[in-house]
Amino acid sequence: MSRLYSFLFLIAFLSVGFASSAQNRISISGIVRDGSSGETLIGASVGILETGAGTITNEYGFFTINTEKKPDSITVEVSYIGYLPTTRRISADKDVKLDLDLSNNEQLLEEVVITGNTVREAVQSTQMSVENISMLEAKVLPAFFGEVDIIKTLQLKPGISSGSEGSSGLFVRGGSNDQNLIVLDEALVYNANHLFGLFSVFNSDAIKDVKIYKGGFPAQYSGRLSSVLDVRLKEGNNQKFTGSGGIGLISSRLTLEGPIQKGKSSFIVSGRRTYIDLITNQINKANEDNPDYNTIPGYNFYDLNTKVNFKLGEKDVLYLSGYFGRDVFGFNSDLFNFDFNWGNTTGTARWNHIYNSRWFSNTTLTFSDYQYNISNSITGFKFSVGSNIKDVNLKHDIYFSPNPNHEIKAGISATHHRFVVGRLKAGSDDGLVSFSAGQDLTAVEYGAYISDDWQISPALKAHVGMRLSGFTSDGATYLSPEPRLALRYLLTEKLAIKASYARMSQFVHLVSNSAISLPTDVWYPSTANVKPQTSDQLALGWSWELGKDFVFTNEYYYKWLGNQIDFKDHAQLFANNNLEGEFTFGDGFAYGTELSIEKNFGKLTGWIGYTLALIKRGNFADIMGGRYFSPRHDRRHDVSVVAMYAVNRWLTVTATWVYGSGDLTWLPGGRGLFQDIPGGTSTPVFPIYGDRNTFRVPDYHRMDVGIVIKFFPKWGENDLTISVYNVYDRRNAYFLYLEPQYSQDFGDEGPPPGAVPSGIAAKQVSLFPILPSFTWNFKF
Amino acid sequence: MNIKYIAASLLIILISLSACNLEKQIEIVLPEYESQPVLECYLEPGKAFRLLLSKSNSYFDPIPSDDLLPYLESLLISNADVRIRFGDEEVVLNNQVLVDFETGKFYNYSSAEIVPENFSDNFELEIILPDGKLITAITRILPIVPIDSISIEKNAENKARCLVYIKDNPNEVNYYRRMLHNGSIVDSFPEQDFVTDDKLIENNIFVFGTGYNYEPGDTIFNTIFHIDASYSRFLTSIQNSISSNGNPFAQPGVILTNLSGNANAIGIFTGLSYDRVMSVIP
Repeated sequence: MSRLYSFLFLIAFLSVGFASSAQNRISISGIVRDGSSGETLIGASVGILETGAGTITNEYGFFTINTEKKPDSITVEVSYIGYLPTTRRISADKDVKLDLDLSNNEQLLEEVVITGNTVREAVQSTQMSVENISMLEAKVLPAFFGEVDIIKTLQLKPGISSGSEGSSGLFVRGGSNDQNLIVLDEALVYNANHLFGLFSVFNSDAIKDVKIYKGGFPAQYSGRLSSVLDVRLKEGNNQKFTGSGGIGLISSRLTLEGPIQKGKSSFIVSGRRTYIDLITNQINKANEDNPDYNTIPGYNFYDLNTKVNFKLGEKDVLYLSGYFGRDVFGFNSDLFNFDFNWGNTTGTARWNHIYNSRWFSNTTLTFSDYQYNISNSITGFKFSVGSNIKDVNLKHDIYFSPNPNHEIKAGISATHHRFVVGRLKAGSDDGLVSFSAGQDLTAVEYGAYISDDWQISPALKAHVGMRLSGFTSDGATYLSPEPRLALRYLLTEKLAIKASYARMSQFVHLVSNSAISLPTDVWYPSTANVKPQTSDQLALGWSWELGKDFVFTNEYYYKWLGNQIDFKDHAQLFANNNLEGEFTFGDGFAYGTELSIEKNFGKLTGWIGYTLALIKRGNFADIMGGRYFSPRHDRRHDVSVVAMYAVNRWLTVTATWVYGSGDLTWLPGGRGLFQDIPGGTSTPVFPIYGDRNTFRVPDYHRMDVGIVIKFFPKWGENDLTISVYNVYDRRNAYFLYLEPQYSQDFGDEGPPPGAVPSGIAAKQVSLFPILPSFTWNFKF
Repeated sequence: MNIKYIAASLLIILISLSACNLEKQIEIVLPEYESQPVLECYLEPGKAFRLLLSKSNSYFDPIPSDDLLPYLESLLISNADVRIRFGDEEVVLNNQVLVDFETGKFYNYSSAEIVPENFSDNFELEIILPDGKLITAITRILPIVPIDSISIEKNAENKARCLVYIKDNPNEVNYYRRMLHNGSIVDSFPEQDFVTDDKLIENNIFVFGTGYNYEPGDTIFNTIFHIDASYSRFLTSIQNSISSNGNPFAQPGVILTNLSGNANAIGIFTGLSYDRVMSVIP
């Protein structure tokens, strides 16, 4: 703890030092909001015309600008894409608190405005390796089964891939799917998927802002190696009651929001539910008298997002938000009663306090819970298994702007983790037979950081940060210093070169050896035997503003991965009291380059992205004798083309095209005779698997198109969104399998047991052919 | 019900919903494959010493449809020096093809010597291949874990299920292979065949059950093999390798063997001890 106190003392010391040097300056601070809804705007540009000083609003809509004290008044200009710029004359002889409301720009209704950051900001920011998407962008792009999914939109960005067809997985710059820090209103989301990874848990109607960091991580983030996905919920309209929703092929959504006390407090409630089970229930009911009919299991998922906020005064705002989502699978018959459900619960209580025009603080208490439960009963016997991870986190962040050249952030954080790993109970009703398994583990994760956005000269700007992360579990304590550095140098006003370095540590690990995310995958903490995973990422790049509409970005990265966790061959990861015995430890590296050109304004918007990458893992004592191998998601080339064309106010046409090198797969190289003991299963041969992932499946490519037709009735607006997934019906490989071939045709019954094949053929299975879908959306 | 099979079932539903042909045959070229010796040797008390020593081949090698015998012969490894030692004795297994017509199994190395009853010490296998490379292995024949009781229960439709109970020794980690046959041991494929262990058991009683699948007059055979950890790992790796084909959620792996030496051989050398009870559904 003494290190923590030293760290806090350093923050206080720096604060006093900067404050004392700011006697002849004033600060202008406040919050920028959407004038019609009261929603705070993240990333709005705020500047002073006379001095050129400027900044952007932070994730809470707050800004602060330092400028010289003047006897005359000065002009503050605020701009945000999609809104009319606003200027305000204010006196400049003392600190000013200035909240600003922006109005929608009606002239831009005919355009698809795709990002909150201006082209200029993308070039001039020290932050590199970051991608923003707006909800408008996500909503107009073609959607898989008509379900708008922010993670699938992010997968169209360079350096981010899905892992497999239709999946909402995130594989960022060579990282695994579990190496992404996913936070919803600052609460950690452990499993961001529904339906075995096909859809994400994020309901786009409730989301205000999405940002993903692929590198150059700001110091307030830690805990995962490869990316940070920061999702912010809307706060709710504090001016008037509104609603929105949609009816799609597989789900419907409804969002209601409005003021609790006009201008001071508001609420938002947003829900989504699928109805596949309602259809299958009717089919089952219609066939209940058919003895040959096999009942279709019931499945549905649902989400509920809620948020309220209260303005407690001029300087304080309290936010309370929550998420609850479940997937529910059930199969009941005369023999089985099988129920399986899983999902996340998160809660956030956040208090924003403005001390004065230079100091802003954010205190957050979050709760995260992920669990799955399986129960099954067969006459006289019961079986249940489940896992659970429960976090409570408290953190405090301060934002301090002592002068125009420094913006300081600092904070402390502590999380209590509780893990219930693979809790199994099985046995007979009479208690004669009983099985059990499972581990209960607890851990504490903590950290403190300080960072400074430092304008060293007009051309050179730096983000300098230091984080100390720690973790205590099972009697082991790990401390990890994590330096962060980002530099931007302006060669011209429109051309910047950038560099960044970030070290990250990961103390909780997903136990999964499957290609996709499964709900039964469990999280396991670092212990005395399981050391934290680490990454060190170095990135170099340049951004070039081309005209007023385009920005070109090119980045190169190299990532070292330490203490990587994999699993021994045939590891028993389910109901195992000694999971650590199945782990094997190694390292890895990834490097590559990403290019993108984006057009953010006008009737035609979109981007073209290209990634060239290589990923390796190795030095695992139990895998291939320690030799290096490529993981399945080692995709060499990846191209995405995204275009949105606003024909007029009523019609928008969109298209995306993606191309990627085929994923790697592990196929057997040989086969051996296996006759087994008398009475055994007696498969005549068994496959022999050698080195991992040596075969690449055929290249992947796909085009999706969409049309959004808008209507403007008196009560509000609505639209019909039509999407066609895989428009040219490309049969992309989801997986390969090897099938014995017989010289004789055995018909539908297939070969009899023991039949000797004449050869073996490779078959490719595709998941989705051309898939049209439509959604009707409304807003009032 | 395994989660990976639930996921695979949902995948099949999704594929079938699309009502399109989503499968196609493709040409793939696998890397050059280097053949390995493959060994199966099961020591059963009261039976002769015998084993099958073959070699693996490339996964896509064609299999002749008409005359299978020369093809099988080409997979056998001949002229190896094969010895099994136990106690002070050494048994030399001769290179001759032997077919057990009762079980349908065949072996290419055997001896007239009989595996002794009640020998609880090590058996040591040593094979010198024609190229001089060595295969070695050690195993024991574990004591039989007897079937404690069998319960036949019937439902309202007069269909029966069978529950088999065994008592487990709580002082050691035990592994079992459970088989269930309906009708015959050798003429029918097992309705259940899996390996398990006693690591999760709480009160030393194991139960193996069935669904209400049986009609009066059915003859069922319950067999409990008491196996060692290496045989359990071998069977698990064989089963996982087979079931990984066609299941995108499964992870294959290398074959886990208890064979050592410089021949890079895979396979199993183990003892067999089991209890088997035949029941006729009343």
